[in-house]
Amino acid sequence: MRKETATGLPALYQLASTFSGAPAGLADADTIFALSSGHGKCGVAVVRISGPASSMALRCMAGLRRHLPSPRTALLRSITDPSSKEILDRGLVLWFPGPHSFTGEDSVEFHIHGGPAVITAVLQALGSMPGMRPAEAGEFTRRAFQAGKLGLTEVEGLGDLIHAETEAQRRQALRQMSGDLQRLYQDWSHRLKRCLAHVEAFIDFSEDELIEDGVLERVDSSVVSLQAEIERHLKDERRGERLRSGVHVVIAGATNAGKSSLLNTLCQRPAAIVSSIAGTTRDVVETVLDIGGFPVLLSDTAGLRDSTDLIEQEGVRRARERVQQADLTLVVVDSVLLPCEVQKAADILQENLTSVLPDLKQTNKDRCLLVLNKTDLLPEAHRRELERELNEVSGLPPVCLLSCQTHEGLQDFLSVFHSRLKILCGDPLSGAPTLTQARHRAHLQQCVVALAQYQKLRDTDLALAADGVRLALTSLGRITGKLGAEEILDIIFKDFCIGK
Amino acid sequence: MKLHPVQTLVSRCIGHLSRQRYDVIVVGGGHAGTEAAAAAARMGAETLLVTQKIQTIGALSCNPSLGGVGKGHLVREVDALDGLCGRAGDWAGIHFSILNRRKGPAVWGPRAQLDRQRYREFIQGELLSIKRLTVLEGSVEDLLVTEPNPDEPGSHRVTGICLENVLHPISASSVVLTTGTFLSGSLFVGQTTSPGGRIGDAPSSAGLSRTLKETLGLRVGRLRTGTPPRIVKESVDFSLANVHLPDRHPTPFSFMNTHTRCKPEEQLPCHLTYTTPGVERVVQESLHLNCHIQQDTKGPRYCPSIESRVLRFPGRRHLVWLEPEGLTSDLLYPQGLSMTMPPEVQLRLIREIPALRRAEIHAPGYGVQYDFVCPTQLSSALQVKSTQGLFLAGQINGTTGYEEAAAQGLWAGVNAARQAHSMPPVSLSRTESYIGVLIDDLVSRGVTEPYRMFTSRAEFRTTLRPDNADLRLTPKGYELGCVSSSRYQEATRVQNSLQEAMTALQALTLSTNSCREKLPDIRVSETKSTVLTGMELLQYKELSFEMLASVFPERLSPYLEFSQRLKIEAVYKPHCDINKKEIERIQREENMFLPPDIDYFSLPVSLSNEAREILDRVRPTTLGAATRLEGITPAAVVNLYNYVHFAKKKGVNGQQKMTRSK
Repeated sequence: MRKETATGLPALYQLASTFSGAPAGLADADTIFALSSGHGKCGVAVVRISGPASSMALRCMAGLRRHLPSPRTALLRSITDPSSKEILDRGLVLWFPGPHSFTGEDSVEFHIHGGPAVITAVLQALGSMPGMRPAEAGEFTRRAFQAGKLGLTEVEGLGDLIHAETEAQRRQALRQMSGDLQRLYQDWSHRLKRCLAHVEAFIDFSEDELIEDGVLERVDSSVVSLQAEIERHLKDERRGERLRSGVHVVIAGATNAGKSSLLNTLCQRPAAIVSSIAGTTRDVVETVLDIGGFPVLLSDTAGLRDSTDLIEQEGVRRARERVQQADLTLVVVDSVLLPCEVQKAADILQENLTSVLPDLKQTNKDRCLLVLNKTDLLPEAHRRELERELNEVSGLPPVCLLSCQTHEGLQDFLSVFHSRLKILCGDPLSGAPTLTQARHRAHLQQCVVALAQYQKLRDTDLALAADGVRLALTSLGRITGKLGAEEILDIIFKDFCIGK
Repeated sequence: MKLHPVQTLVSRCIGHLSRQRYDVIVVGGGHAGTEAAAAAARMGAETLLVTQKIQTIGALSCNPSLGGVGKGHLVREVDALDGLCGRAGDWAGIHFSILNRRKGPAVWGPRAQLDRQRYREFIQGELLSIKRLTVLEGSVEDLLVTEPNPDEPGSHRVTGICLENVLHPISASSVVLTTGTFLSGSLFVGQTTSPGGRIGDAPSSAGLSRTLKETLGLRVGRLRTGTPPRIVKESVDFSLANVHLPDRHPTPFSFMNTHTRCKPEEQLPCHLTYTTPGVERVVQESLHLNCHIQQDTKGPRYCPSIESRVLRFPGRRHLVWLEPEGLTSDLLYPQGLSMTMPPEVQLRLIREIPALRRAEIHAPGYGVQYDFVCPTQLSSALQVKSTQGLFLAGQINGTTGYEEAAAQGLWAGVNAARQAHSMPPVSLSRTESYIGVLIDDLVSRGVTEPYRMFTSRAEFRTTLRPDNADLRLTPKGYELGCVSSSRYQEATRVQNSLQEAMTALQALTLSTNSCREKLPDIRVSETKSTVLTGMELLQYKELSFEMLASVFPERLSPYLEFSQRLKIEAVYKPHCDINKKEIERIQREENMFLPPDIDYFSLPVSLSNEAREILDRVRPTTLGAATRLEGITPAAVVNLYNYVHFAKKKGVNGQQKMTRSK
C-alpha cells in the first residue's frame, strides 16, 4: 500500500516529485569522491567530493577546524592527510553547500597538482575517512539528476553516459583482472558462495533435515582463512606505498658499464663520481627523481665483481642487498663488449642478468630492464642490428640502447622506463586504474569487515552472522559480478537432500 | 484464547442465493481461496466463495502441520493482516515448537502439528460468521469473458462465472481463481492415472482450463507434487523411533492470542526414524512400475518423493518424521515418504523401516500433476495483466505449501475487493514483508519448480522478523480496510508500549563500573569505561530484559509483558538501522511507476533489443522491479526513467489510466 496511490495522485506526478524535488533528507547518506578532471596528464587535477561528510573532509584535510570558507570561493590551503598530518600538496579548495551545488548535496572540490603521486595520496586520504567511498561510474551525474539539477537535454544524454562509463569500467576491470588477479577473486567468490549456501542451508533446513554435523564448523574455518587471505592481499598491494614513498630503482651491472653515468644522466647533475676506472663507485649512491610524475628513489651501486679489496667487497654486498629489495632493476651492460652475432649477444646479456639477479624468473621479468650503454662507440650498422634483433629474442626483458655520452636513445629509454613505473604504481591518469584499484580495495576491505561480523556473531545470532557472509559476498560481487538468491539455493539443493 | 463456537456450514444451493451479482467471486475453498474470500469480505466486498464440496473447506490435503522456518514468517504476516490461518493454527495445533530457537529470532520458525478435524472446523466456522460472505457448493464450468474496458489496460475482461448445471451465470467485478492442484489435475499411483485434484475429488472443469489457455491466451505449465501413504497408528512400533517433544509452553501464531487451545500437557509428540538400504532397494526394483516418477514434469527439489531422494542421494539414510494426524485420529503421517509406486509396493517399502515393520497402510500415497499459470503474467496485485478482473492465488501460480497459498490468497482478496470498488491496486514491497518477497519473486522471476518460501530469499531478513509482523503490516492493513479495529487497537497499543519502553531504555544509563556492580552476570569489556544505555546493555547476550527490569523496577517493570520483543528489538536495532538506508533507496525506486501499456519495442529511447524483450515479457510495474530484472543495465533504467519523465512533460501517454479515480 502506498500513500501516493491511496491519495490518487497521477503516477507521473509521483515519479517527478521523487526525482526532481528530492530534499536533502532523501539523498544517499554515503559521501562519494572521485578525480573529476579528465584522464591523461594535466597540470591541475580536480578531486570532487559530494555528500553529507563533505564539510568534514574539507575541515580535516584543509586545516579549517573553526569555520568553513565562504561558499563558492577559492582558497589556497595546505592539504594534509587527516591521520598522519603529512602535507600532501598545496592547492585550492572550494566549498559548495547544498543545494547550490552540481549534485544538490554539500560538495567540495580540491584543485591539486596533476602528478599521480599527489592525486593518489589525496584519494587515499579521502578513502580512509569514515562515511567516504570512491564514486561509482556516473554517480555524481546520477545524484545531480535525482536532485533535479539536470535539464532535459542533459538528462537525455545521461543513459548513454552511464552506459559508456560502465562499459569503460567493465573493460578496465577486465584488463586489471586478467590472469592471476581474476583467478584469485573468482576463487574467493566461489568459496564464499559455498560458505553462504551452507549457512543458509543450516538456517533454513537443519531442524528438519539431515544436515550433517560439522557444516557450520567447516564454514567457520573457511571464513577464517578467507579473511586472512584477503587481508594479506590488501597488505601486499604496495602500489599506493610506492607512489607515496617512491619506486625503488637500482642500477646494477658489471664494473665500468656506465652505471654512474646513467645515474648522472637521469638526474641531470653529477651526483656520482664517474671515471673510466673500474670500481669507482664503492658505496650506494642514492638520489630522488621525478620521472613523468612518479617519484623514484634511484640507487647507483658498486659494479659487481670479485674483489680482494675489503671496501669494494662491502660495496658489492650492499649492491646485491639493494638489488634484492628493488622494485625495478636497471641492468647496465657495456654494449661494446657484445659480439656482432645476435644470439651470442643475447647469451652474454643473459649471463649478465643472472649475475645481477640470480633468482630472476620468467614471471618477474617485468621487474627489470636491460640498458646497453656506450652505443656511441658502436658502428652504426651493429647498433641498428642489436636494436632490431635483441627485442625479438624471447626470454629477455626489454632492451634499451643508449649513450650516456651523446644522449642518443635516451628518450626511448625514458618512455620504456616510464611505462614500467606506471605498471608498478598504477597510473591514476590513464583510464583511472588507480580509481578502480581504490574501488577494489574498498570492496575487499568491506568484505573483511563483514567476515569479521560473521565470526563475532556466529554464536550469538546466526541470522546476524549470516548477514555478514551475505554482505561479504555482495562486496566481492561488486568486483566479480552480481549474485542472486537462486544461485545460493542451487548450491544448497546440490549439496543437501532437503526432504521436508 | 476465546472459545470458538463449533458450527457446521450449511450448504446453500443456487436457488437460495440472494443475488446474481457479487463484487468478488472466489473459486476454490483451500488455503488461498478461504483467505481470499475472507479478506475480500473484510474489505467490504459482497463476496461469493464457490467450492466443489463445502465439507472439504479448510482441509489439509497433505501434511498436518503449519508454519516452520520461512513459512512461519508468512503465517505471522497473514495473521497481522487479520487472515485466518494463524488463529486456525492456534485452534487446531496439538504440538507447538519454535524451530531454530538457537539461531537468532530473525529466523525463528513457529510451527505446529495440527488436528485436521479442528482446523477444518475452525475455518468453516470462521467463514460462516463473516458478514457479506456467501459460500456456495458447485462446480465452475467456465469464466464469463467479454471485451475489455477500453479505459484500462488489458485485452480481455472477466465478468463472472458459469456454474455446471445452472443456466444463469453469476456476475462479479472480480474473480479470484484458486484452483490448487485441480486445474487439469491428474492423480498417479503405480501405473494407473486418473483425472482428479485430490484423492476422491474431481479436477476442475475442462472449460476453465481451455478458457485460460485459449481464450485468454495465458502461458500455462505443468507441475507435480505428491503425498505419502497414511499409516495406522497402532501398527507402529514407537519404541524403535526417537521421540520429539513439543515446546513446554506453546507459542501462539496469532498476535491476538495469548495462548493456544491445546493445553501444554495435552500436546502430542512426533517421532523420528530413518530409511534403510532396504527402502532404497524397493525403490530401485519398482521404478518400472512407477509412471509418475518417470515423467519429466517438474517436481520440487525440496520435499521430494522418497523415490527422488533415493535416486538423487543414493547410499544415504533419510529422515522420516512420524506425525500425529489429530488428537483422536488413528492415523499417522510419515513425512518424507511421499511416494507413487503401486500400493502393494508401498507397503513393502515402509516395512523396510524398523519402526514400521508391521505397519498397515490406511490410504496409499499418490502423485498429482496439475496446470499452473506462469506467474510472470501477473501484476504485483496478483491480477492477470492481460485480463481485467481476473486474479490468481496459490498453486495455480506455481507455489507449494499452505502458507504460501494463504499469503497470496489474502493479497489477491484485498486487491479483488479494491478493483470491485474502483480503487487502484496495492502491492507489498519485498522490503517490508515475506508476502512481498513471495509475490515479487513470482511475478518478476517466474517459477521452474514449485515455489516455497525460505528465509534466504529475503534480502532484509533481519528486519522482516516473525516477532514484528504486526508492527510492519497491521497499521497498513487497517488503512486498507482488511484489518478489524480491535486488532488495530491492539497493534497500536503494542507499538506505543514498545516505543515508550525503548525511549525509557535509551534514557536509562549505567556506567561500566556500576554495571559490574549491579549486573555481575554480564561481561562488560574491561577496557571500556564509558556509560552504556539500557538499549546497549540489552545487546549483551547474557542480559535479559527481566534482569534489567529487576535493577530498574520503577522504570522498566511496566513493560515486562514485552520482555522478549524488547530484547529482540535491542539486539537487532543496529543492524536494522543499517538496512534502513538500503530499504529506503529501494522503496524510492518502487514508487516510480511504469505505465502498464508501454510498447517497449517502439519506445523512442536508447534501449538494447535484449532489454526491450525482457521489459516487454515481464512488464515490471515499477522502476524498482525493472532494476531487479536480469539483463537490465543501469543505462536502461535511466533511459526508462527518462522516457516517463519526458512523457510527463509533454503530457503524452495514457498515464492517467494507472490511477483511476475512486
